[in-house]
Amino acid sequence: MKPLALTLGLMTSAIAAPTMATTTLNVFTAGDDNMVEYINEFLAPRFEAEHPDVRVRALGTGPGDAGSQAIYETLSAQRESETWGVDVAVIHQRMAGQMTQEGLLSRYTAGLGTGSLASADSARNALGVDVEGYVMPMFQSQIAIAYNPALLEQPPQSYQALAEWVKEHPGQFGYNGITGGMAGVGFVFGWMYAFTDMADTLQNGPWEEDAPERWTAALDQLRTFNQHVTMTPGNAGTMDAMNRGEIAMGPVWMDMYYTWMADGRLNPDFRLMLLEPGMPGQPMYYVIPERAEHAELAAEFIALATSPEVQAEGIVGRFNWFPGIDAEHVRDELSDAQWAQLYSDVSPETLAERGFSMPQADYFRAILEAYESHVSH
Amino acid sequence: MTISKLLSPLALGVVLGLVAFIVFGPLLNLAMWTFAEQWFYPNRLPTGWGFSFWERVFRPRAGAWTSLFNTVLVACAAVLLSMALAIPAGYALARQALPARSVIMLLFLLPQAFPNLPIFVNIAAIFYQWGLNGTLVGVVLVHSLPGLVYAVWIATAAFSAVDRSLEEAARNLGASPLRSFTDITLPQALPGLLAASIFVFLDSIDEFTGTFFVGAPEITTLPLLMFNASMGGNYQVAAITALILLIPSVGFMLVIERFLKADVLARVGR
Amino acid sequence: MSTSSSQAHSLAVPSRRLPRISLGMLLVLPALTAIILLYALPLARSLVTAFRDSSGVWTTDHVVRAFSLYGRDMLFSVGVASASLALIATISIAISGYLVLGTTPWAVRLLRWLYRWPLFIPFVVTGQIARSFLATNGMMNNVLVETGLMASNSAQSFLDWRGLVLTFAWKQIPFVTLLLAGAMAAIDRSHIEAARNVGANRLRCLFEIILPLAAPSLWVGLILSLVAMLSALSVPMMLIAGNPTMMTSMMAHRITYYGDYGIANALGLFSYALTAVTAWIYLRLTLRREATA
Repeated sequence: MKPLALTLGLMTSAIAAPTMATTTLNVFTAGDDNMVEYINEFLAPRFEAEHPDVRVRALGTGPGDAGSQAIYETLSAQRESETWGVDVAVIHQRMAGQMTQEGLLSRYTAGLGTGSLASADSARNALGVDVEGYVMPMFQSQIAIAYNPALLEQPPQSYQALAEWVKEHPGQFGYNGITGGMAGVGFVFGWMYAFTDMADTLQNGPWEEDAPERWTAALDQLRTFNQHVTMTPGNAGTMDAMNRGEIAMGPVWMDMYYTWMADGRLNPDFRLMLLEPGMPGQPMYYVIPERAEHAELAAEFIALATSPEVQAEGIVGRFNWFPGIDAEHVRDELSDAQWAQLYSDVSPETLAERGFSMPQADYFRAILEAYESHVSH
Repeated sequence: MTISKLLSPLALGVVLGLVAFIVFGPLLNLAMWTFAEQWFYPNRLPTGWGFSFWERVFRPRAGAWTSLFNTVLVACAAVLLSMALAIPAGYALARQALPARSVIMLLFLLPQAFPNLPIFVNIAAIFYQWGLNGTLVGVVLVHSLPGLVYAVWIATAAFSAVDRSLEEAARNLGASPLRSFTDITLPQALPGLLAASIFVFLDSIDEFTGTFFVGAPEITTLPLLMFNASMGGNYQVAAITALILLIPSVGFMLVIERFLKADVLARVGR
Repeated sequence: MSTSSSQAHSLAVPSRRLPRISLGMLLVLPALTAIILLYALPLARSLVTAFRDSSGVWTTDHVVRAFSLYGRDMLFSVGVASASLALIATISIAISGYLVLGTTPWAVRLLRWLYRWPLFIPFVVTGQIARSFLATNGMMNNVLVETGLMASNSAQSFLDWRGLVLTFAWKQIPFVTLLLAGAMAAIDRSHIEAARNVGANRLRCLFEIILPLAAPSLWVGLILSLVAMLSALSVPMMLIAGNPTMMTSMMAHRITYYGDYGIANALGLFSYALTAVTAWIYLRLTLRREATA
């Protein structure tokens, strides 16, 4: 019986230890590994320096919608509980609307020192749902096409040209479909913007019940397109396949791309571009669950994370991501060189012209379903 | 006879060399990734070597230590729980005339005879209601399910491989039934029981799907850490974690036959 | 403690059948309870959920949708599983046959040492290993190119159904071989000697005498491998991009992306059906063997 008692003892101490000595701030984050890394390596040490008795615990829930879905399920499973085990969550834009509507999030930004720094439309509206007061953008990310100039000097500049190009270069374009992360999903949305005449409706509504029936041509084209491309396993998989020379171009998240670049994990010769008419991007949001155990600490954590200094040094300076709060507040904290670096591949003008938002929540789901039944089937 | 004389030993050497490449090539590739700091097309070999990713995996915040601790703790707890349930059950199934023995054996066969993914998914849904999701207890329970099945099978095989005549001899010489169990039966079944424990332990270390649904993201074990790193494109981190996972696996593989005798193996599943 | 003393008590009076039966049940009961809570309950839930919509009304919607959305993935799973099993069976028979009948002692020893390495390597690790080894510019292609067996521009990625088959085989062959070689070693040598004395060559000896005797172990190994393959989530997720892929991937996709347990469980039904057929064959074989024994 001794080993059992010993194990049980170890087990209870393992569970109890962190809570006994200090307060643990549980930060759940959706998205790829780089998100966990950013919170662990950059934010947590700074926050803990200000709050010595607090330990930040970052937990990754997985890439793409699945990661945000996991956070949603974690919270809704605890609906009946007194307090919920999540203090801060980082979620995708799509999930923010549903979680707000279901009353899972607390309205906190009014009391936040940095609350007024984020005034972009995406800070108030998440794919058609009013989320004002519930979210703070962590950073703005954009899906772009990465290409390897060594294999491809003149990449096609539009979806139309790309569709032609892949026929002559089978397998040279790669993306991750819709099951392996949002880069592939976003590429498909861009495709729908390009090949249906609904680009504006898809992004701004209103929802039309019969819309999916009008997508047949676009989906058929995509099905043909898929026969000429390489399928990669995930957002990271696309970059990995580029690294290993298996494909010449593919859609990537710019934030992830730059993280890899800074790490020396990506061939420095690669370049980025946006396809005509445009590709979607989205912010990641900081939210506080309605019944977070340490709601006040959580707000302080978010205030730190969205302060101009941290946004400048961490989001822009270190990772070359687009800031979540309005750019003018961040601009002053940065050198001209750093600022220029942010737009070295994609100019601000191009970004303004070709940087689209994700489709409205209803269309979002309808496109994915249509893809599964028409394209990948 | 003449053909085999001509073929050997050169052909044998070639075939065995090929087998060696198939077995060790992938492992070598993995080992290379753990020290590769820069490796991209068109380079066949890494362009930078070093330990910096090791440092990154084992720095305090990276979570490798917690995952390692969780993995070992969960595996040990799963072994204890499964064996505590399996030893009496295995003994009874091997020795006692049970009503509907084959039905019971079948029930213990089912979890291994059917894919367990739907089971794990629904366990997760049930554990949500019981508040066990994301707790160590929940993960241990989920790891004990496949473990228990192995344990019952092997324990049953081990007990039925024990020579009954020795027990009877001991009883004839006046030993009490308990003594004949602890002195004769148990020592003879011990190698099989140890093998069962090893199976459960390894199965728990290997276990990914159950932890993925029941434990994540609160409880991270090494397989989960490795999977996330791999899907996130951190090949080095994934390779280093994989290498750690290989230590117990390969270690037990090298000693397995000491514990698991052919006669026990032949009885598994009967 | 209390169980072992009561057990001792019943052993002391073997003639009384009734207490012995109930004692046996008592010993099995804890394990049985665990299996029912951890297995039968979730199993029942999975079957029920597959046929109920969100408001609790019975429906076959999920099954129909699962087939229409993932029919191709089901076929793919069947194909990959069958190909892997064929490969596993062939190579396991070859290896264990040589281990029993091989006449070159050093080769037998070396092979015995070699084949077992992947035995306990976790599926996730196998997936990661395969992912870097079988890629277009992975080690396998590099070695083929370097040794001049393949032109560098004809290198292609094996990360599709072939990669899955190779990976599953790499991981499962040692396991099946261990079981099979164990069963072969347990066969009375006199059977083999007798056959060799009347002039049977080694191949005939393997297929006509040894294999039939060891076949049950081969079956067990193959069924366990099939179940392992149809349960493995990590390997297809890591190796296969896009569709078609193994059903496990799509089940996880339905749950992690949509929280849709209905279709996921409907997919689960299909994997049950697939293994049920194999299990039925196995049971028939076992029953026949017990009838003849």
